[in-house]
Amino acid sequence: MNETTIIEVKELSISFPNGEEENHVLKNISFSISKGKCTGILGESGSGKTMTALAIMNLLPPGANITSGEILFYPSGKEALDLLRTSYRSLMPIRGNRISIIFQEPMSSLNPVHSCGRQVDEILCRHLSISSKKAKKRTLDLFREVHLQDPERTYSSYPYQLSGGQQQRVMIAMAVACKPDLLIADEPTTALDVTVQKNIISLLNDLRAKYHISLLFISHDIGVLNEVADDIIVMYQGEIVETGPISRVLTSPEHLYTKGLSACRPGLSTRLYRLPSVSGFSSITHSEINQKAVPENSCKSDQTRKQRHIAIYSAEPLLRVRDLKVDFPVSRNFFGKVVKQFTAVNNISFDLFRGETLGVVGESGCGKTTLGRSILNLIESSQGTIEYNGKQISSTGKKMWNELRKKIQIIFQDPYSSLNPRLTVGKTILEPMRVHGILSTEKERKSRMIELLNKVNLDPLYANRFPHELSGGQRQRISIARAIALEPEFIICDEAVSSLDVSIQAQVLNLLNDLKEDFGLTYIFISHDLAVVKYMSDRIMVMKDGALVEIGESDKIYQSPSDEYTKKLIESIPGS
Amino acid sequence: MFHYIIKRLLYSILILWGVVSLVFFLFTVLPGDPARMMLGQRADEKSIEVIRKDLGLDKSISMQYIKYLNDLSPVSVHVTNDPSDYFFIDSIRYSTYLKIVNISDKRILVFKRPYLRRSYQSKKNVSAIISETLPNTFILALVSIVFATILGLSLGILAAIKKDKLIDRVLIFLSATGMSVPSFFAAIIIGWLFAFVLGDFTGLNLTGNLYEIDDFGEGRYLELKNLILPAFTLGIRPLAIVTQLTRNSMLEVLSQDYIRTAKAKGLSFSRIIFKHALQNSLNPVITAVSGWFASLMAGVVFVEYIFGWKGLGYVIVDALNKYDMPVVLGCILTISLIFIVVNILVDIIYTLLDPRVRLT
Repeated sequence: MNETTIIEVKELSISFPNGEEENHVLKNISFSISKGKCTGILGESGSGKTMTALAIMNLLPPGANITSGEILFYPSGKEALDLLRTSYRSLMPIRGNRISIIFQEPMSSLNPVHSCGRQVDEILCRHLSISSKKAKKRTLDLFREVHLQDPERTYSSYPYQLSGGQQQRVMIAMAVACKPDLLIADEPTTALDVTVQKNIISLLNDLRAKYHISLLFISHDIGVLNEVADDIIVMYQGEIVETGPISRVLTSPEHLYTKGLSACRPGLSTRLYRLPSVSGFSSITHSEINQKAVPENSCKSDQTRKQRHIAIYSAEPLLRVRDLKVDFPVSRNFFGKVVKQFTAVNNISFDLFRGETLGVVGESGCGKTTLGRSILNLIESSQGTIEYNGKQISSTGKKMWNELRKKIQIIFQDPYSSLNPRLTVGKTILEPMRVHGILSTEKERKSRMIELLNKVNLDPLYANRFPHELSGGQRQRISIARAIALEPEFIICDEAVSSLDVSIQAQVLNLLNDLKEDFGLTYIFISHDLAVVKYMSDRIMVMKDGALVEIGESDKIYQSPSDEYTKKLIESIPGS
Repeated sequence: MFHYIIKRLLYSILILWGVVSLVFFLFTVLPGDPARMMLGQRADEKSIEVIRKDLGLDKSISMQYIKYLNDLSPVSVHVTNDPSDYFFIDSIRYSTYLKIVNISDKRILVFKRPYLRRSYQSKKNVSAIISETLPNTFILALVSIVFATILGLSLGILAAIKKDKLIDRVLIFLSATGMSVPSFFAAIIIGWLFAFVLGDFTGLNLTGNLYEIDDFGEGRYLELKNLILPAFTLGIRPLAIVTQLTRNSMLEVLSQDYIRTAKAKGLSFSRIIFKHALQNSLNPVITAVSGWFASLMAGVVFVEYIFGWKGLGYVIVDALNKYDMPVVLGCILTISLIFIVVNILVDIIYTLLDPRVRLT
């Protein structure tokens, strides 16, 4: 092998036993990582990209069965080493020292009961054999290098006391502590806000240049990869479908999957009638993708959009929120009286018009979820009024809310935990209809339930299945079916597509838009993903630290944001 | 933290008061007469009347209750001028007390040590009875729980590391057995086997206390080997439970992301187990151990009876049989206090182990 390669993966296949069958997660993949370059792996969930990273670290989960292949590591000036066939003891001086890794979830990847400083000290003491005093000094230097404010305080902080971005910086400090040859970053920014994501990416780029580290960067987001990667590997269902320099893959993708993947993301410049969706990437076979062309699209013209807006905004508002404030108690004194409180939503006022989609954007912790829930009275507000259809609803009793629940529905972010695991899909959808007495007989309700399943593009046979048998996208569609079962007027979508893959996200977004037209719905669309919000919304509301930053027509906000913060948010969108 | 402890202590006064009231009123509905118990079945009515008056049993129940609380409370009201009054301050009972203030010309407010009264049977001070037996119980409970915790943690870690291997299966089987064996049965078997059948070989006695009087009736001496059999018997169930809990919680922690991070850092296996996994998996173990420790302190009647160990459980059962209310109440109060203290200590230990735990 030549001098320029650091890792060479040869014909690697990995499977997991699944009952009688074998689940093949990696199918005969081969690629190499060049020294000093950044190689990106692009793929959706289940494509095998994380498995590849873990295989290089030899950290595969228990039960993984390596059916064939080898992973060769070429340390400078030493013999090549097959990482898959090296004992734990011989891997110890390599892991964390020559090859290190950053994981997706910084919170769960740091030991919750050790201070951050101690966790970085540990790796220094292990590999550089230095005294703990020296290690502390070096750790503080590292913390400065990864731009952690107040390194002394971070040193003695526990992970739970830091924000996601800070935690990921600690992870990065740990990973580069011993100046490794290769750094693997497995979706390092997916769990973080866009503005933080931008900073972390530029930090990784700086460190890579400074220490001549080769980087393997794994992401589902082609825009993110565009900012770091030199070469890119596209994975789909455990196979590599395309490799090449990123500029080439982006401008002229060869494989149709890659083409579809970049098309599914709603663009920032044009607004399509429907997002192209290579329908159900996960359900069709590899060869079918090749046949399915991405459909031709027409853009929504500004003219029709303007006319629609005039019609919408001339009517009386459906929802009128005034000076809404939500406080959470932080600490109480001896007698249980609240002495310190956190204001999650601070004096927010806005109107929502019938038939519009109002996008709510902001970074995590800005209060957008709390806002949605307090409108629904799922969280009690401490001040302010909410009027729905001209009626005061913020301080009405339970009885009136029982009526209102029928008209106002919510779709939650996490389709895994928001469905009762013990109810079948059919019962999940039937339950609210029964509670609210929609339709008179059980038979009618059942046929309505089947209608709804058809409406959200699910096979009615799924009615007898349990949520855990379905994929994330299918579950989110059940949540949607449950919400529209009551024929509501108004739905709050709280990060409804955030946990879904881009191709599935496109399908769900199309579905939401179709339903809006069919039933004349009004949406509040909460998301941290600015491109998605722009695609969906008529107007956009930007929130920061519980307060409203600006609200206005979505195109206008994107083109000429009036507030500094909004500008910063829009600039942080990867690939923009 | 400070607020929390103050709050807990205030609550504990309420708990103690509740316990005293409950046990006191349960005693009043029990059939049987302590005075008759003291004098025997053939005693004449007159002497029984005298005893009843002496014990205050002729007063109304509510009066008796208030008097008991008054004796128990560190701050109490007493009458000074009339020796025949039920609330007359008796300088024999309260060896030391501090007068706080005169309420009126014949009533005073007094600060004193809680007075647990005297046993109906032996006439000994209840506090003296408790301070004689509590150390026995404490040492027995401590030794068995330390034995169970140390061995249980080691076996649990071993089983978790060797998951699904033979040794794991064997340990699971043994701990399931250990959990289901009743302690009186285990005590008889262990006593019979190690003290009777193998007695010559092991040199252990079937019965005995921590302190023995030598054969000539002079001087007490410490006999630690008498501790072995009862402590082992009592330790079996906590041992089995600690083993199971450690194994399960270790397995859960070992599948966490931060253990993967620790491996990715190139740390040695033992460091990962002891520095990263163990501390995170101790919470359920501490909950179980503290619960067991507190209930062992409450006395373990069967085991104490079988091995002839003079502990709190022994005393309570004896007192119950003889309607000796002051002894029963005193012992139960002591046990409640132990439970409360152990629980507060455990909460503090949680905060030391896991910085995320906040006491409010």
